[in-house]
Amino acid sequence: MYLVAMAAGFLLILMGLYGALTHRNILRMIVGFTLADSGVHLVLVAVGYLPGRTAPILDSAVPLDEAAQRIIDPVPQALVLTAIVIGLGITALMLAYAYRLFRTRKSLDIAEFTELKW
Amino acid sequence: MVSAIYIIATGLGAGFLIGLLKDDRKGDAFFLAVAALAAMAWISVSWTLALTAGVAEPQQIITAGVQPPFAINLRMGLAEAGLLSVITLTGLVSAFYLRPALMQLGRRAAAVLVILVMALSGLVLTRDVFNLFVFFELIVIATGGLVLLSNDKRAVAAGFKYLVVSQVISVLLLIGIIFTYHAQGSLNIDDIPAQPMAFTGAGLALFLVLIALVVELKPFPANGWALDIYEAAHPGFSALFSAASATTALYAADKLFAVAGPDWLPLATGLGLISFLGSNILALAQRSDRRLLGYSSVGQIGLVLVVLGQRDILGDAYLYVAGGILITHAIAKAGLFWLSGLVTGRDLADWAVLRANPVLVLAFASFVAMLLGLPPFAGFYAKWDLAHTLVAADRLPVLVLVLIGALIEAGYLFRWFGMAMKRKSAVAFPGFALDKVTAVIIAMVAGWGLGYIWGAAGAHPNLMLATPLAFALLFLVLEPLPAWAKNLLAIAGLLGWVALRYPDYDPLQLVFALVMLAGGAVILLASFHVRGRRLGFYPPAMLMYAGLAMLIDAQTSFQFFAAWEILTLGSYFLILRGQDSEPHALSYILFSLGGAFAILAGFALAAMGIQPFALVNLAAIAEAGLAIAPWVFVLLAVGFMTKTAAIGLHIWLPGAHAEAETDVSPMVSGILLKAGLFGLWLLLIYMGRQTLWGVDLTHVLVWIGALSAFLGAVLAIFQEDAKRLLAYSSISQMGYALFGLALMNHLGWLLALMFVINHFVYKSMLFLAVGGVKERTHTKLMYKMGGLITLMPFTFISVLVGIIAMSGVPPLSGFGGRWVFYNAIMASDLRLPMVLIFITGPIGFLYLFRLIHTIFLGQLKDEHRKLREAPFWIVLPQMLFVAFLIAFAVLPGMMLRRVDAYIATITGDQALTWSGRVITSEFGYWNPIAIAAVIGAIFVLVLALLLAINHNATRVKQFNIVFSAERPYKPQTTHFAWNFFAPYRKALGFLESPVVTTFWGALTDSLHASADFARRIYTGNGQTYALQVVAFVVAVYLIAMGGVS
Repeated sequence: MYLVAMAAGFLLILMGLYGALTHRNILRMIVGFTLADSGVHLVLVAVGYLPGRTAPILDSAVPLDEAAQRIIDPVPQALVLTAIVIGLGITALMLAYAYRLFRTRKSLDIAEFTELKW
Repeated sequence: MVSAIYIIATGLGAGFLIGLLKDDRKGDAFFLAVAALAAMAWISVSWTLALTAGVAEPQQIITAGVQPPFAINLRMGLAEAGLLSVITLTGLVSAFYLRPALMQLGRRAAAVLVILVMALSGLVLTRDVFNLFVFFELIVIATGGLVLLSNDKRAVAAGFKYLVVSQVISVLLLIGIIFTYHAQGSLNIDDIPAQPMAFTGAGLALFLVLIALVVELKPFPANGWALDIYEAAHPGFSALFSAASATTALYAADKLFAVAGPDWLPLATGLGLISFLGSNILALAQRSDRRLLGYSSVGQIGLVLVVLGQRDILGDAYLYVAGGILITHAIAKAGLFWLSGLVTGRDLADWAVLRANPVLVLAFASFVAMLLGLPPFAGFYAKWDLAHTLVAADRLPVLVLVLIGALIEAGYLFRWFGMAMKRKSAVAFPGFALDKVTAVIIAMVAGWGLGYIWGAAGAHPNLMLATPLAFALLFLVLEPLPAWAKNLLAIAGLLGWVALRYPDYDPLQLVFALVMLAGGAVILLASFHVRGRRLGFYPPAMLMYAGLAMLIDAQTSFQFFAAWEILTLGSYFLILRGQDSEPHALSYILFSLGGAFAILAGFALAAMGIQPFALVNLAAIAEAGLAIAPWVFVLLAVGFMTKTAAIGLHIWLPGAHAEAETDVSPMVSGILLKAGLFGLWLLLIYMGRQTLWGVDLTHVLVWIGALSAFLGAVLAIFQEDAKRLLAYSSISQMGYALFGLALMNHLGWLLALMFVINHFVYKSMLFLAVGGVKERTHTKLMYKMGGLITLMPFTFISVLVGIIAMSGVPPLSGFGGRWVFYNAIMASDLRLPMVLIFITGPIGFLYLFRLIHTIFLGQLKDEHRKLREAPFWIVLPQMLFVAFLIAFAVLPGMMLRRVDAYIATITGDQALTWSGRVITSEFGYWNPIAIAAVIGAIFVLVLALLLAINHNATRVKQFNIVFSAERPYKPQTTHFAWNFFAPYRKALGFLESPVVTTFWGALTDSLHASADFARRIYTGNGQTYALQVVAFVVAVYLIAMGGVS
């Protein structure tokens, strides 16, 4: 099952990057990157998954002394939370940029913003 | 000690606190930000000081009360403390620099700035690989915000491109991190074991982490996005982006490369070299200042990446070398970006406005020297050690590529500096804001201070403590004084130094010291004619003399090389002062630096990693007959010959000497050229004959000498410009000296030494004379002069005496030179170059005759009728030289005898016998006094005869001339002095076809053309840039893995 998740994650990354690198519309590029981000998150979680184990929540269902054998690796889950927050921040910043870019040129075509080159 | 974690805590706390302020309390927000940055800087600096002094131990900080890998840990060591100091201090100064922009945008911008510095500090401190990612993303977000501080509308697009690429990087980094974690079970960097570079999951994961960190370094060619930021962002932010962000990213990469193991180091070396060379070449085509700085940043970071790739061989020296280059670069680049904020135009030539403030000019010069690793800055020591380590570990190709890249970088940086010094400013002088100037000065002082620290910390002698250099630097402080006071001090300093060192010199050193330093004092007499303060003259002049003094004293290869670079740098600034000298000064510094790099490589090859390397050990290498010995010889000889302007490497000389100021021309011609001879002399004494592929290298030198002598003379006879004529004549004369040296016999060396003395005297004299004429006539073109004999009699006398001495006719000392010379070549068995040298003699007469004839004889020009003699102070040293020449002619034994005895101790034979005033050789004898008496008698006789028949003379009226079958084309061509040797030109003109100039011109042109073509990969499209990053990563992976399988 986790292999499916991981494959889906990589597929999402590739789709996202492909979209971001081929669509010239800035908003579509941002969507592409969000997609790739989601893929990365999926991969992160999938890496920490161990078959047949339970969620890393220590309560009455999982006694403390058996935890190491019964829960999945909690680290990637912690990481993915951080990554999601950061991804949100970056996406918000990119959207703000998209807005400002649109205001300067009345266009969202990335190929229009090439005054700086060479 | 305050724990390093408070750096992060302070940054975060201040960031949130500013966020809580009301919108209108901008002043408070700015104050809070500055206070936080100051606190962070204070913690960093106090750690640096404590760790250097050894009163504190490196600190390991654990968070959440749990040991790693279960919680993030930080480390504060010396490297971290040093870098944190750079980052926080840059942040602090930039905050003041950005103040107007920050106040305009309000408290949020101030908060973002603090967060950026905090994140950069965190990146340096953390030992957790995921934490690394978090800080990276914080930096990205903060950068995305601060880019918008710029008034430049294009900055918005630049920021967006940056975000796009950052997204790609973060995907790579996260995937790499999670699989590294999967493979190692830990996120702690120190838990990652060394990995072989192979097609394994763990290998791929590590590759992704490493390459993501490398892409953060903006490697060429996947770096268009970064260049756009550099170009469009506020200079205060660009300074941070270059000095702090790039430095931090490099340190992050360093952490991972350190644990990844030696297998990965070639990857760093390769990518670093591509980046260093590629971006430096592309920078050649740049006209925009900030974009140029961007290219330079990318290049320099590439260079440090190369150093990083050598950490396996650098060992303990790693921090010293990498830190020296990295921190120097950070300071210089921050300073240059801050400077760019003072310049309103964005073209390179617009930096000419800086000339309004000499301190800023000094700062600009210092920053350029820092970037290029010139002494006395920290990068110099690093460059030296790096070169030696590379050669000792048999990585010569890496060194060669690094030096080529550095030379190209020198090309565009010095071209830029030349533009700033010589071009007319197209933009109005903006008036400099004091806070911005202060920022620049802080950077400059920091750079000098770092140079001092590096000098003190390394194994080498601290250059800044060398008395001559300290004396030269003193003149920077004395600049407000009037020129005469500085001149007096300079002369006293030179003479005092010679007097002080006199007892310790051997005769050879003594001759060179007298010529270079005491002779320099005589030439400086001419500088009294300049009124005012003469800003920017004495520091470079004294820098050159300091270099010469240190060169004579040098015992080790390090001292020699440092002195060499110091005198090169000083003379460059001196030459640049001339009127139209911009292109010539540039070609001078490029040839000189190229030569210096050859010398560096030669010394490194000779030393084979052993430091310090005494110069006398060159002899041991030659004696041992090591395979490298001829290569050492070739490299050193080529280096020295760039200074003596041997043919092929000479194209910088005519312009540099001819365009220089009146009193500078004799310095750079009479004195500076001797530095090259001094080097060649030592080389030949120590290494003797070397054979490469069956060719005796001294024979090659003999040929080069003869060709230089011959072609220099041929080129001289066709010059219209008097100073150019003298300059070409120098090429010819240095050719003679090289020829003499390379003959490798007693008389040859004596000959070379006579040339050292004679050439100094008569060339200085002639340059001063012609310079004096130029001061009065305001032209250097000989056909615009004529008949000045009656108006400028003293100048005429000195030219007359000068050309008699130079052409080698009796009775003056030139004859002595000739006499020794003919003896020397008769003692040698090289016939063909000897013939060439013989022919050169009469050609010398031609240009000398032209010099005196067209300037002083013939018809006086109308506009010159009211001319006066040249200024007293220009004439005075000439008269001293005249007196010396006559005395030296009659009493050549004064100095020669001692030197002759000294040379005998080296060659082991006695070629000349000295008895009374008579000098006898194998082929005949020479009695200077008798010759002087005979010539004197003949002269008096002929003069009397002429006076007796003078009443028969017909006075030729003005305009009573004929054209000797030469048809005049232009008004000036009706003057006999125009194209004076037209018949010879018809016969020998093919010899002056500019083959060498064309060659070097084609080389630089093709470099420029390829740069202009190649930089079109930076299309400006953010999507293309992202694609380039992806392609770069894939290509690197395939090539790297292709290498292992």
